[in-house]
Amino acid sequence: MTTHFDIIVVGAGHAGCEAAHAAARLGCSVGLCTLSDETVALMPCNPAVGGTAKGHLVREIDALGGLMARAIDATGIQFKLLNRSRGPAVWSPRAQADKRCYGAWMRDALRRQPGIEWILERVGKVVVDGSRVKGIELESDGRAGERLSCDALVVTTGTFLNGVIHVGPDRWPAGRAGEPPSETLASSLKAHGFAWGRLKTGTPPRLDRRSLDFTRFEEDLGDHPPVPFSFLTDGITRPSVPCHLLYTNDRVRELVRANIDRSPLYNGQISGIGPRYCPSLEDKIMRFPDRERHHVFLEPEGLDVDEIYVNGYSMSLPSDVQTALVHALPGLEDAVLLRPGYAVEYDFIQPTELARSLETGRLDGLFLAGQINGTSGYEEAAAQGLLAGINAARRVRRESPFVLRRDEAYVGILADDLTTTGCLEPYRMFTSRAEHRLLLRIDNADLRLTPRGRDVGLVSDARWERFEARRERFEQNMRRVRRTTITLGDGTRARASRALRRPDTRLADFVAAGELSLCVADGQDHVDMASVETEFRYAGYLERQVKVVARARRDEGRAIPRGLPFDSVPGLSREVVQRLTEVRPETLGQAQRVPGVTPAAVAVIGAYMGRMGRMSRAPLREDTDRGDGPGNQRGR
Amino acid sequence: MFATDDTIVAIATPPGAGGIGIVRVSGPRAALIAGSVLRGEAALEPRRATLRDVIDPQSDGRAVDRVLATYFPRPGSYTGEDVVEISGHGSPVLLREIVRTAREAGARLAEPGEFTFRAFLNGRLDLIQAEAVGDLVEAVTPLQARVAFDQLEGTVTALVADVDRALFDLIARLEASLDFPDEGYHFVEPGAVAAETRALADRITHLLGTAQQGRLVREGCQVVVLGRPNVGKSTLFNRLLGAPRAIVTDVPGTTRDLLTDTVDLDGIPVTLVDTAGLRATRDVIEAEGVSRARAALRVAYVVIVVLDRSSPLGPDDLGLLADTAGTPRLVVVNKIDRPARWMPGDVDALGDEHAVVSVSLLDTDGAEAIRAALAQALWTGERLRDTPSISNVRHIDLLQAATAALERAAGAAEAAATEELLIADLQDARRALEEISGRRTPNAVLERIFERFCIGK
Repeated sequence: MTTHFDIIVVGAGHAGCEAAHAAARLGCSVGLCTLSDETVALMPCNPAVGGTAKGHLVREIDALGGLMARAIDATGIQFKLLNRSRGPAVWSPRAQADKRCYGAWMRDALRRQPGIEWILERVGKVVVDGSRVKGIELESDGRAGERLSCDALVVTTGTFLNGVIHVGPDRWPAGRAGEPPSETLASSLKAHGFAWGRLKTGTPPRLDRRSLDFTRFEEDLGDHPPVPFSFLTDGITRPSVPCHLLYTNDRVRELVRANIDRSPLYNGQISGIGPRYCPSLEDKIMRFPDRERHHVFLEPEGLDVDEIYVNGYSMSLPSDVQTALVHALPGLEDAVLLRPGYAVEYDFIQPTELARSLETGRLDGLFLAGQINGTSGYEEAAAQGLLAGINAARRVRRESPFVLRRDEAYVGILADDLTTTGCLEPYRMFTSRAEHRLLLRIDNADLRLTPRGRDVGLVSDARWERFEARRERFEQNMRRVRRTTITLGDGTRARASRALRRPDTRLADFVAAGELSLCVADGQDHVDMASVETEFRYAGYLERQVKVVARARRDEGRAIPRGLPFDSVPGLSREVVQRLTEVRPETLGQAQRVPGVTPAAVAVIGAYMGRMGRMSRAPLREDTDRGDGPGNQRGR
Repeated sequence: MFATDDTIVAIATPPGAGGIGIVRVSGPRAALIAGSVLRGEAALEPRRATLRDVIDPQSDGRAVDRVLATYFPRPGSYTGEDVVEISGHGSPVLLREIVRTAREAGARLAEPGEFTFRAFLNGRLDLIQAEAVGDLVEAVTPLQARVAFDQLEGTVTALVADVDRALFDLIARLEASLDFPDEGYHFVEPGAVAAETRALADRITHLLGTAQQGRLVREGCQVVVLGRPNVGKSTLFNRLLGAPRAIVTDVPGTTRDLLTDTVDLDGIPVTLVDTAGLRATRDVIEAEGVSRARAALRVAYVVIVVLDRSSPLGPDDLGLLADTAGTPRLVVVNKIDRPARWMPGDVDALGDEHAVVSVSLLDTDGAEAIRAALAQALWTGERLRDTPSISNVRHIDLLQAATAALERAAGAAEAAATEELLIADLQDARRALEEISGRRTPNAVLERIFERFCIGK
């Protein structure tokens, strides 16, 4: 008799934690498989959460009822709102995390959540019956071959699929430093014919705080007061610590150039593709020879930890070169390296294999989330984990998939981009990926998404009550501003709603001058004020974007029947048919975003669907055949 | 929209008899179908006109016509599919026979615009060029044809693509400033954004400068001839047409209904409208004619007001001058071969009117003077040196939307607005440009464009 769970989640990183939590909150029994409960929600790279666009994702995860924002609010040690000099649509929170506390907080949150059973074992292959997932087989000593069954499986293996770590000429199989890779699981997935590829990411060396000369660095302080991530947080109570800034110099340049042939990135030892937007030190020096210097940030990994993360200094050069490179920086002459930087190569599954629910097209009940889908970043992983957890639970309960639109959430853009265009390099979220960026802000994430999270069942009564009060305040404040006229600097009177369109006017100033009073909750002024101010600042722009969204929504709303045989749609070229068959777009709008598919081709599909609809609802082929065999690599 | 997997056939030359007539077959089975229609064992050689007999399979392989057949293999054909063009003798009966035979061999009769739609679908033409094909085949004046041909050659396509590329580059630099704030530098200076954006707006505005005239060339216009009875309207109408189209008598009120005909005036297809003389009348028929004349005034692009210098100006004349004062007009003072009862300079209502021509319509030089003055009135503003490059209302509307968005962006940049707002406006501009070329065009618009075509194009 095998143990049965509604849902098994493989991996307890940022994706796995959100997936397990969401599924359990939706009433499913969850088996959470991880090698060790010491590495839950680990930050193997940068000890930080948020950043441009990533901060948006974290706010959205929170608005939907996820964990990440509360975890970082509870364990952050320096908070900053980025892009403050730009407009509110691109403000993004970022925080340094106390790495160990963050993992512990997340583990405790999951332990408190009823319905989650921890399985501290190593997962081998995926068990299937036909094209349905049935469970997993363990492969750790003592329980090898034991099967656990489930109705839905969420795989979040990060960099573990056939992971290989490189430090100079040395390389060894590993998922992360000191942890074995998942090889059986990788070949088990590939055996089902998933298109896959190989990516690379890297991390910098860690230094001992006690060996650094802090008098030589520029201090980089957090915001005061800090702006929290979660709509449930009224204030950050932990102390804020500084980071430190220094710059690369000529010596660094010379060292990298002199040793470039010992870098696995440059001597052909690594074939996986790394993220262009987060270049290694080798890439910075070699690809941007004209830049005299690059930023390097020293970031503490915790309040009571001596480990310092060297942001901007990721590399895979041999240890001796790494030591020399560290010592070349002013103030680091005597630095003690605790761990060298390294590059890690790993397999990923082309996310065009997934529907926007993050369920695979090949195996019913199999969901993938996080780096296995070609993304980079804790926030991107957590967002996918949340989506996969919700949709796994909905599949178990035979409910329709939960999909967020591109004009509604960055989470929606993330799922749509991945499943529509796939990955050629590690995918990171940017605000430029949003067509309607002005609508998708951190100040209105709850207004956009908490009602959706409530419908899904993830938003607790307590959060909902709080949200309703906040929405009431928002609407009342909007009415108040609309009714108010104020005195401008030159003594003239103007409507407050008009005056706020100017970039230099602040709602807070009107309030301070006694022109206007607003309802603001304790600790929530950053949300209450910003969402009202922005609605007026962006007024004309928002109206235009809403119109464009409405126009596009006609196509976005036209669902393409599952299993529509594109090869029998007249007039489509073979290339277009192939791309569409791989990607299986769910709506006409999504089809238009598939690379290589023209508007004319989409028009033809629309016409074809219209004709099919008129013709007696002829049954469509449930599954299209896919010509490609297992293990073929695409996405290069 | 059309189905596009089958093979289509249609007569590509105009209806009616002609020296030759062409039947076009396009689609995956074009060569096969042509083979079953044409006698001869050997397959058609690509891109080589070959003499063949068309056979009628229903009557024991009797030859129907002797034709020149040319096979254009995909993708280098007009539609991007396999195409066979069969040039037969231009009898409509014979051509219809060829089409029937092809249909019996499995081809389907093409819908209007379907050949061009397939060319668009297969990336042989962009939307601007597809529309130009429609314009080219419908051209009635040489200038119309030239404008359409330029667009087919890609003059508008190139400019739109050029501006779009510049916009894309500008947006990319602005985006980089937003996405990488830690890097601590601006990838583009705010002042530069305003300047670059204005320069792009100016390029579109320059293009739009020819738009009104372009539209005039593409769509033509109505010129309405108005005047009191018996001043010479119908004579003028006939003179401009060069044919005695309207009945001319000495009896006032001869013209009762609107008479229209089209004439090529300096490349513009002008629809001339002759009207009943304006006067109060008890005659029911004439009264209806007068009210139609007044209605025609509302759709007129230019009005020709005809006055008779040999009889005193009456209240009807002055009323007409007052009614047409707000419309572009040409005043023709007729009958200068007779004793003058008034002079134009003495008439207040003509005041500083530029477009006054004094003629005798009995004289052929008079007609020439009117033709020249009318051309002047039609080509408002500066006379075109080059052919106008924009003529399509859909393009004009979208280019204006793009310019408006660019102006907003430039204004915002000058007011120190933040990058995300500039990008929002620049994206609006790009959206409009991409809709022109068909890179991002709603379904409904595509259907409307291709519905306009006649069969065989």
